[in-house]
Amino acid sequence: MSPDVLSGFAQAAGPLVLLTNCVGVVLGLIVGMIPGLTISTGIIVLLPVTFVLPPEIAIALLLGVYVGGMTGGSFSAVLLNIPGTPSASATAMDGYPMALRGEAGRALGIAITASFIGGMASFLCLYLIAPVLADVALEFRAEDMFALVFFGLTIICSFAARSLVKGLLSGAVGLAIVTIGQDPVMGTPRFTFGDVNLMAGVHFLTALIGLFAIPQLVSNLHDGSGTVGLAQRRLTSILPRLADLRAIRVPVSIGALTGSFLGILPGAGGPIAAFISYDYARKASKHPERFGSGAVEGVAAPESANNAVTGGALIPMMTLGIPGDPVTAILIGALIIHGLAPGPLMFIQRGDFAYGLIFSFFWANIFNFLIALAALRLLVRVLATPRALLMPTVAVLCVIGSYALRNNFFDVHVMLFFGFVGLAMRWLDMPVVPLLLALVLGSALEENLRVALTASKGDVAIFFSSPISVAFLALSVLSIAWSLHSGRRARPSENAANKETSA
Amino acid sequence: MRRRNIIAAAVLIALSVGYGMLTSQLPVRSLPDTPGPPFFPWLNTAILLALSLGLLAQGVFGAGDAAPVSADIAARRRGGLLLGAFVAYLLVLPGLGFVVATIPFFAALMILFGERRPVAVSAGAVAMTLFLYVLFRHGFGVFLPRGVLAGLLGGLFG
Repeated sequence: MSPDVLSGFAQAAGPLVLLTNCVGVVLGLIVGMIPGLTISTGIIVLLPVTFVLPPEIAIALLLGVYVGGMTGGSFSAVLLNIPGTPSASATAMDGYPMALRGEAGRALGIAITASFIGGMASFLCLYLIAPVLADVALEFRAEDMFALVFFGLTIICSFAARSLVKGLLSGAVGLAIVTIGQDPVMGTPRFTFGDVNLMAGVHFLTALIGLFAIPQLVSNLHDGSGTVGLAQRRLTSILPRLADLRAIRVPVSIGALTGSFLGILPGAGGPIAAFISYDYARKASKHPERFGSGAVEGVAAPESANNAVTGGALIPMMTLGIPGDPVTAILIGALIIHGLAPGPLMFIQRGDFAYGLIFSFFWANIFNFLIALAALRLLVRVLATPRALLMPTVAVLCVIGSYALRNNFFDVHVMLFFGFVGLAMRWLDMPVVPLLLALVLGSALEENLRVALTASKGDVAIFFSSPISVAFLALSVLSIAWSLHSGRRARPSENAANKETSA
Repeated sequence: MRRRNIIAAAVLIALSVGYGMLTSQLPVRSLPDTPGPPFFPWLNTAILLALSLGLLAQGVFGAGDAAPVSADIAARRRGGLLLGAFVAYLLVLPGLGFVVATIPFFAALMILFGERRPVAVSAGAVAMTLFLYVLFRHGFGVFLPRGVLAGLLGGLFG
């Protein structure tokens, strides 16, 4: 075994490093759980603290926040139906229905376990096959990236169960919103109406808070029965049962593989991995109709995926100095402050530190699993708070969260605007998730489409010239066909069920 | 539900037309045979318009889906009050500052969510507002506005 590996392990296993890692995980769980406070915000806030720490301790703290935050996001997604982080959006779809059934503990236990497995799988990826995977992913050209993003967007069809037209419309509206601000290729202002606040476009997170949180607040207002309390009261067994572990084997594997791979690709972060994994877990399931109404597989797949993304995103960061997501971009900044530029040279010049970082990531996953399981009942006490105190707190947190992104009231107004949009879409029975997906993927879709067409001088044949692009486009066609087929298959059974209910 | 589909389609057609008109005013700056800034918006305008017309056709000719469950009038009124409180809060927040603006907003929401005891409302609103202010301003470094209480809050919390 290389001496760097041993030194790295010893560095990450130092008492102070381990303690800081634990503190980071706890902070991450809290930050991730609070709707509107993102992992990026938590890490940015902690950055000044890390300036005074030795680099191995600083990076252990930040990695703890990164890993803990991914799991923390699922807590509020399951218990409040408000994802704490964008990556937990998919978890809410089955986690919250489970909580309403009185199975909040079971849902969270599965989320924590799946997060642990996903995180450990991505650690293995990071440790064993990082350079190979990074090489493959970084050879993607614009047409390949376009095909990948397009493939991600085909998931919209799966979320448009009642009406494909409404689902696609929701996605198209999202793409229109994405075009506000400077265009991603030439920097030309579009639809800004001369307002400087619109130059940077609509921040995805403000839209996310508004679309999810405001309709949820209004819905909680309508529901006088105290459903949040119900979820809390019935919190019983947290450790997953053997039957549950058997049931989540496949979805967790899908999530771990998808998350680790997509984590490597710049821009394709936790939310995309979570939604893709959710979609494929549903397609692989013998009971796809249970998804959306509280299926354990629907919690396991996205949670495994979003934690697997963390290790995946560290791969290009460490080997080539390219961030896989916003958090790793901030981590690069933190390392540079300490005189450690991530990249291939880091493995040669500071191999001990590079492996120390990898092993700190390993410990962060272990601590995350243990602390999340041990402190779950304590954290869930948030729900013992009277609804009259909890809901106004959530409302104020939404305002603080959207303001804190750029210390700008404009973002708060945008958040409220999207709240109204979310309410209107609910009234019109239009799914919100396609809009969300379009907001995440739209910019990358346009940028790669235009770059590819510029390179080919407008010839669309470029998308069929690369095997990677062709493979992703073929997968997109399969994904759409599968969704349409599943929709047709589900419709007669839905109608039959409706007839039985009405009878 | 058919009526709602028609309303949605009408709104979205208007949105598509408006979006298309704004797209036509975008500067065309690009090399020959390459897509410029209006390229993607034009593509999206066409998609939006086609889908909106499809929804209109569904609304006019379709059999209609089951209508979603509607809230009762009292619940709708409470929802309206909540959104109104939000709008008012955001209007006064920059001028009055976080603490002064949040206390009445928090109290209003507590009442809307069913708390009627004046002492609980007052204590809850004041305590939670101050807790959140200290936590985020001093714990997480979020520059929440001090507003009219800048001197007092600066003296109390630094």
